[in-house]
Amino acid sequence: MDLLLQTLLNGILIGGIIASFSIGFQLTFGVLHVIDFAVGAWVVLGGYLAYWMSTLLGVGGFVSLPVAFVVFGAIGYLIGPVIYRVRNSRYARPELMALALTFGLFTLLRGGALTLWGFNTRSVPTALSGESLMIGSVTVPLLRVVAFAFACAVAAALFLILYRTRYGLAIRATAENRHNAGLMGVDVQRLSANVYGLYAAVTGMAGVLMAAIYSVNPEIGLRYTLFAFFVAVLAGLGSVGGAILAALLFGIMESVVATYVGSSYSHLAIFATLYLVLLVSPRGILQRGL
Amino acid sequence: MRGWFPIVLLVCGAAVVFALPELLNAYWLRIATGVLMWAGLACSWNIIGGYAGYIDFGHSVFFGIGAYASAILMGDAFGWPFAATIPVGLLAAGGVAAVIGGPTLRLRGAYFAIATWAFAETLLQLATVLEITGGTAGLSLPPFLNERFFYFAMLTAAAATYALTWLLFERSRFGLKVKALRDHEPAAEAMGINTAAVKLQAFALSAATAAVFGSIYAYWVTFINPRSTLGGDITDQMVVMVLLGGLGSLWGPALGAAALFIVNRIFWMYWGDTTFYIAILGLAIIVVVLFLPNGLAGLFARKTQNGSQNAGRALWRALTRPGVER
Amino acid sequence: MTGSVESVAGGPILVVRDLRRSFGGIKAADGVNLEVRRKEIVGLIGPNGSGKSTLFNLVSGAINPEGGEILFNGRDIAGWKPHRVARAGLARTFQIPALFDNMSVMENLLSAAAEGHWNGARGRAEEVLRLLRIEAVRDNRAVDLSGGQQKLLEFGRAMMREAPLVLLDEVTAGVHLNIRSIILDAVARLRDSGTTFFLIEHDMELVKNVCDRIIVMDAGQVITTGRFDEIATNSEVMQAYLGRRAEVSP
Repeated sequence: MDLLLQTLLNGILIGGIIASFSIGFQLTFGVLHVIDFAVGAWVVLGGYLAYWMSTLLGVGGFVSLPVAFVVFGAIGYLIGPVIYRVRNSRYARPELMALALTFGLFTLLRGGALTLWGFNTRSVPTALSGESLMIGSVTVPLLRVVAFAFACAVAAALFLILYRTRYGLAIRATAENRHNAGLMGVDVQRLSANVYGLYAAVTGMAGVLMAAIYSVNPEIGLRYTLFAFFVAVLAGLGSVGGAILAALLFGIMESVVATYVGSSYSHLAIFATLYLVLLVSPRGILQRGL
Repeated sequence: MRGWFPIVLLVCGAAVVFALPELLNAYWLRIATGVLMWAGLACSWNIIGGYAGYIDFGHSVFFGIGAYASAILMGDAFGWPFAATIPVGLLAAGGVAAVIGGPTLRLRGAYFAIATWAFAETLLQLATVLEITGGTAGLSLPPFLNERFFYFAMLTAAAATYALTWLLFERSRFGLKVKALRDHEPAAEAMGINTAAVKLQAFALSAATAAVFGSIYAYWVTFINPRSTLGGDITDQMVVMVLLGGLGSLWGPALGAAALFIVNRIFWMYWGDTTFYIAILGLAIIVVVLFLPNGLAGLFARKTQNGSQNAGRALWRALTRPGVER
Repeated sequence: MTGSVESVAGGPILVVRDLRRSFGGIKAADGVNLEVRRKEIVGLIGPNGSGKSTLFNLVSGAINPEGGEILFNGRDIAGWKPHRVARAGLARTFQIPALFDNMSVMENLLSAAAEGHWNGARGRAEEVLRLLRIEAVRDNRAVDLSGGQQKLLEFGRAMMREAPLVLLDEVTAGVHLNIRSIILDAVARLRDSGTTFFLIEHDMELVKNVCDRIIVMDAGQVITTGRFDEIATNSEVMQAYLGRRAEVSP
């Protein structure tokens, strides 16, 4: 029973962090109509940024959060329009080319990270590392709680932007119909830059936290891309609200399989489920619009 | 390209290809064998990705099925001769493609890409936990150290793959049907084309050809494990080679394969590791997408209205006007 | 069914009975009944959203009906897959040109014969190119054609099917008069050799000059059918058009 509670708690806490970058991933799909393969690379690079800050400057993980926001926000702001341009180009098959572009970006970043840091795993110290609370017989690692709180804050902020501001209305209009939004005076290219920048910034911050919780290595990026895909497929591509629920479900599922079946099977279970979900319901199980 | 030119090219090419084992040392002969293998694999991916327009991010599955079929059947438990294992791998891969293709090919675009990727990773994970595949440790095959044999084996397989692709996709109505469903599925249906059946056939063909190279590869390197045969890197290479060479063109994949594989080996020769190569691979994809959407083959392709086009001028135009050329 | 049809027509090639299909509560086909006879040119008119394109999609198999019958040459084809309907001898064009963008004009035409009369397809394609006056762009990719040329190519692809019944969905919408007359000449030629046409059209001038008979739809139902002069004086038809927005002026 305690084990079950512990497993569920771990799953929910991790699910929250996955939700934080899944929301951005979904938003990007909604606006750019591109599946971003590079999502895992942003998570990994966020981790390495924190690692560098801690080894070069000796600061803890939390200090890296705002830095990650600025750095990845700037990078994303520059890359967003390029993706937009390819997606809306006069190429024979723009959808495929845009997919290839983010795939190339992912490969470039992964290769760059491998070249710079090698295959070794690095960890990021924080003020809360190793600290935990005992509630009954369940251990609550404080770092994960903070990360979960961060994810909730990101989700809340994004929802406020989306549903309570005029800019959010423009974003939603664009996700609904790019062409019409353009006619209504929305500068879609500029908006893509902003959305991709915001998404990269949030994803980089999530990467800092992931590295603080688990440590980081370049090859792990693929896992995070997979996580985002899984959540997106479960929620329905482009669905922001569904992504939160899907991410929590996903966290719980991964945690349960790892605890009760064995961690070598957790990947098998994830991929098999992902494949089956796609076949049964390609538009997502938790369908809900933006 | 009409008239005598392709015939002369073919004869010269054949002469070079047959003379290569005499001219190259063992190291470069292995590289030439590798180029042939990748050219064949890129062509096999191009069938489903380029001609049919379904982006398969899990094509390593079929390469791996071929490799494991040979490794298992040539192992102590069965002890089959190598040649007998090739058709088994080929049929197994084609069969798996036919079975999973039914439901999977109903998905479009990015969904198909994710589904195939998920399927490939599922098989990869399965291979690491199953006993018959030797788990993460992998399987060994009886060694056969004859580089020339493998060179000619890969040459035969690659030549057969290209000849088959040329016949089916450039010289028969099957190719028209496949390209039609790629460009507009409802319209293809309205032309009486049974798109579900046609794309399944293309997928199975694409899978079966990939398996042949898996079989030869396993026997060639004498040791395989899940990563080296089913891993995502195998698929990545195929995709990038086709993109670089020219999606949906017959010879593009061969160009892309030769260019990338030779660059890969040179990196390996001088730096000993290939992590930087991964970065170069990524950069190559980005450059191709932004500046050369029709790949290397696009540079040499004729523009129909303005007569033949100068490759250098096309490159210049591509570099100065990214994202606008069709 | 109104029986006032010109003498060129033979027995029915297409009979639709009580065809029904709705989308999220909207009845796009609400018990459609109609008949098209051999060698007829039948025009299908009606305001936007009256269910004309849905009817074409139902007949060609692109969407499945919820009830009713579609008798094509006496066989009930309701619920058949589009490629089976096509093979049974029904060709169609799409409202928005649905060309094979990355294939050449010639390949587009040949692909229409890939499943069907393949022998001699190249010769027939040459003939279609000449008839539609698009020989000059035969090797261009379809996506590089002008809007009018795309319409011509789509029509040419339907010709390549050599089908006894051809559905044309606004095949002359937004094209230059020259191109329209090329298409209409081809329609007349094909009809003389025994092809039946069923076409959606918004241009009343064209409907008047070309169609033997007209079927009027509104709100998912056939409201009347008859010759142009009969229809033009029908108050129900006027109501259907003018009662909503005057998108079409008869």
